[in-house]
Amino acid sequence: MKRNLSKGLKVVFLAVYLIVMAFPLYWIVITSLKPQKDIFSFPLKYWPDRLTFQNYINIIKISKFHIYIANSLLISLSAAVIVVCISVLSAYVLARFKFRAHRHVMLGFFLTQMLPGFVALAPLYLLMTRLDLINTRASLVLMYTVGLIPFSTILLKGFFERIPSSLEEAAMIDGCSRMSALVRVIMPVMLNGIAATFIFAFVQNWNELFVAVLFIDDESLKTLPVAMNSFVMKFDVDWGAMSAGTVLSVLPTIALFAVAQRFIVDGLTQGAVKG
Amino acid sequence: MKEGQPSVVRRMQSGFRSSPRGFIFLSLLPALVLVLVFTYYPFLRGIVMAFQNYQLFDLTNVHFIGLDNFKTMFHDTKFQHAATNSVYWVFISLILQFSIGLTVALLMNKRFRGRGIFQGFVFYPWALSGFLIGLIWKWMFNSQIGVINDLLLHLGLIHERIGFLSDPSWAMTSVIVANVWYGIAFFAIMLLAALQSVPSELYEAGSMDGANGARKLFNITLPYIMPTVITTTLLRAIWIFNDPSIIYGLTNGGPAGSTHILSSLMLDKIMYGGDYGAASAIGIVMIGILLLYTIFYLTVTRSEKLGDF
Amino acid sequence: MVAKRNNKMLFGATAGILFLGVLAGCGDNGGSSGGSGGKVTLRMIESLTSPARTTVLNEMISKFEAANPNIKVELISPPFDQADNKIKTILGAKQTLDVLEVRDLTVSEFSNNGYLEPLNDYVKNWPDYATEVDVAKSVATLNDKLYFITNGMYQRQMFYRKDWFQEKGIPAPTNYQEMVDAAIKLTDPSKNRYGFSFRGGAGANGVPDTIIMNYNFDNIDHDDSTFLKDGKTMYSTPEAKQALELYVKLYKEGSPKDSINWGYQEQVQAFTSGVTGILLQDPDAIPALMEKMDVNTIGTAPMPKGPSGKAFTATGGGGWGITSYSKHKDEAFKLIAFLSSPEQNTYFAKKTALIPIHKSASEDPFFQTDMYKTLLLMASKPDEFVNLKANTKYPGTSQWGQVAMESGQSLLLGNVSVDDTLKKWDQFWADQRANLNK
Repeated sequence: MKRNLSKGLKVVFLAVYLIVMAFPLYWIVITSLKPQKDIFSFPLKYWPDRLTFQNYINIIKISKFHIYIANSLLISLSAAVIVVCISVLSAYVLARFKFRAHRHVMLGFFLTQMLPGFVALAPLYLLMTRLDLINTRASLVLMYTVGLIPFSTILLKGFFERIPSSLEEAAMIDGCSRMSALVRVIMPVMLNGIAATFIFAFVQNWNELFVAVLFIDDESLKTLPVAMNSFVMKFDVDWGAMSAGTVLSVLPTIALFAVAQRFIVDGLTQGAVKG
Repeated sequence: MKEGQPSVVRRMQSGFRSSPRGFIFLSLLPALVLVLVFTYYPFLRGIVMAFQNYQLFDLTNVHFIGLDNFKTMFHDTKFQHAATNSVYWVFISLILQFSIGLTVALLMNKRFRGRGIFQGFVFYPWALSGFLIGLIWKWMFNSQIGVINDLLLHLGLIHERIGFLSDPSWAMTSVIVANVWYGIAFFAIMLLAALQSVPSELYEAGSMDGANGARKLFNITLPYIMPTVITTTLLRAIWIFNDPSIIYGLTNGGPAGSTHILSSLMLDKIMYGGDYGAASAIGIVMIGILLLYTIFYLTVTRSEKLGDF
Repeated sequence: MVAKRNNKMLFGATAGILFLGVLAGCGDNGGSSGGSGGKVTLRMIESLTSPARTTVLNEMISKFEAANPNIKVELISPPFDQADNKIKTILGAKQTLDVLEVRDLTVSEFSNNGYLEPLNDYVKNWPDYATEVDVAKSVATLNDKLYFITNGMYQRQMFYRKDWFQEKGIPAPTNYQEMVDAAIKLTDPSKNRYGFSFRGGAGANGVPDTIIMNYNFDNIDHDDSTFLKDGKTMYSTPEAKQALELYVKLYKEGSPKDSINWGYQEQVQAFTSGVTGILLQDPDAIPALMEKMDVNTIGTAPMPKGPSGKAFTATGGGGWGITSYSKHKDEAFKLIAFLSSPEQNTYFAKKTALIPIHKSASEDPFFQTDMYKTLLLMASKPDEFVNLKANTKYPGTSQWGQVAMESGQSLLLGNVSVDDTLKKWDQFWADQRANLNK
């Protein structure tokens, strides 16, 4: 009896939760399938009278959405990969060795999480002009990489600490250098942790707006959030294009979640436990 | 670190060809250089402006003014109000995000039919840009053309339209609702991950001792995932405190400044006032608050060693 | 075992992507330099961006490039939301930029910092300047210096729901008192219908400033339109109080409560979705209205008048300027001259729904249509609708919107009295004037 009650509560909770979480997505999908004139017609339509794919056709044909998606994919993936490479090294060292500056390095990484980024935006722009990196994809890859190194290092350090150091010691006795022991022996064991860090980094990069608006000038180099932001105009938000764009922009991330889900759940476990 | 220490000593004694000292240095180098050059350097450049008269509309007249920006700030009722709001914003958002996230994670910890689809709906808000979340919720919250009022009227739950973003007694609640909606995913994912790592032997032992569901939760599960809880809640609090994008998108601090938090007030000073001096001063105060909070939090939770500093 | 193979594949893929990423990330350098082989590259940025407008601009630029094969133009189109901030950042860093869109809101700040090249000497040798209407010239001028060539002008008019007014049997309002009365009559919350598309959020200062100015009609200093002839601000008079009280009434009794937070977009959306019956807006709102509404239900009328029976109409505008540090100023002006020729500007104005800058354009049949003819009517009665130059010379112009919005919201919520609000506004502008004269 009590069991059934608690099971019933569970089902109710999950159902309510599902409805609340899913409703905004439902509303966006429905909007993206409505013709322009029907989006703001009253009374509101919870199911479109006329279904159309015109909004999708428009953003691909006119707004060249495929270019922005390609840019976003390229930049987000590159930055996520580089973040992982750099953070694996720093996290490994911080997990395995105790040295004099250890505390300071960790503190320095942790402190970055507290800095309000907007204060640094103008000096950063100046720095990037000096480096002649403005209006390149490289500038975004660089910025996103830098922004994610501290958190990724802290996350990955937790994974390394769960792997006994006897593992690479054995490899090193067999003649491996420390570096090749790390790459050949340790990293394969903690690929789940790497995948988790990678997904986290990718999602952050995929959604970033302010830096991308500031650093990119050319239409052909713009990323998805910038393109979406330009549907907000002086007098109008083009909700047809905006909703269709939202649906298209969520799909790749959801696909990535689906593929990497096993890694994340399995992976984040170990890293997050130790922090 | 417990395992790390002796192994270094051993390494030093046996004298491998790659000296750890060099290896440590080279491995940390890329991360340190990048963070120093592209995070700390511009930030320190930016923070100097807190002590300057630095207004975008008159850059010919930039000069040091000592602590004037801070004095003006502390006397500004808007700042005081935003500081109070920040406290509500962070704690209410955090408590709701965490408790709902934990409940969802606990329920999802066991396999059930449709768990995959369910996970998709838990994750997807994380895959949206901050500005987009602001925009979508602003549209849905609109009292005349928004879908939430329309839905509540249809369901007969209300009889008069609610000004979710325009009524000062609702506005803060509304932005927090949007923030909670967005932030549950983070906790659900992180805590689910931690829950899955709890060794099943622990539960089996608990069952033999005759522990029931609630006792298992409080005596076994929660203590085991405590480190995750502490790290995630700490980091999340910092992120929520620092991120203005949802408030910027939803109300821009309005009506009449009633939903400003410190970070949105700072953004406001930059975007509309062009006053980088005032913005940087707020930034410094924000860092100070976060440092104090972090020290306090880590002391109370007795986890100074959490990050192995 | 399977999992392990997957792991290896993921690792391989990761390495591959890394290689690709580094390659693509670094291969795209340059582009901002001057160009080679005697070809000049101009960098140009727009501010009032929309995807449709960018398409039109690119079309015009292609024509220019075809006519001037030695000049290449790179157009930067940031999202409207962030555009002015991006422009400010670029200017602050002196990053290569030749042509920029300057607005009445930003001209003072930009010229104050020495970012803009005065164009007075350039227009001397430009024949088309002679056919520009005076307003277009004066909008772009500050302290006798011409800082941009206007690309389109804004002038508000009244859009109203013909069918609603007919239903209630009332004519289109001609003055502010009538407008407020009409708005109250049209309001019926049970039908989710309200009289006025109110804007209490971003850009909220537009309506109260105009009402106050019109209530002070006889005393306004025409060269410094926020101030009276005696040097006081227009917020300091008993007429200002009457005007502001009317404004509060308009919100409380004739507008949706929610509109205290509305910006441009919500204001227009409320009108297009049939929630509100009166909208005061610039012509560039027209495309959105035409796209989303039954055109037969939209009426246009001149801006309401004040108690004097006359109205000030402050024309705003933006246009193309040249940066003071541009290395290709002559080529930059060549581009601006091309874009501002009667043919090109009229085309641009039609496509973006703005008022064109050349006299000849008003004869174009396009501007005789229902949506635009009221604007021409207003322009043809300069004694009734007295045109004032938008007051742009104060550095605080760009901040004023934010100040007026926040204090205005406090006023509308009833937290602050009309008197105290006016005092605050009076103080803001008195300070501006004192600082300018320092």
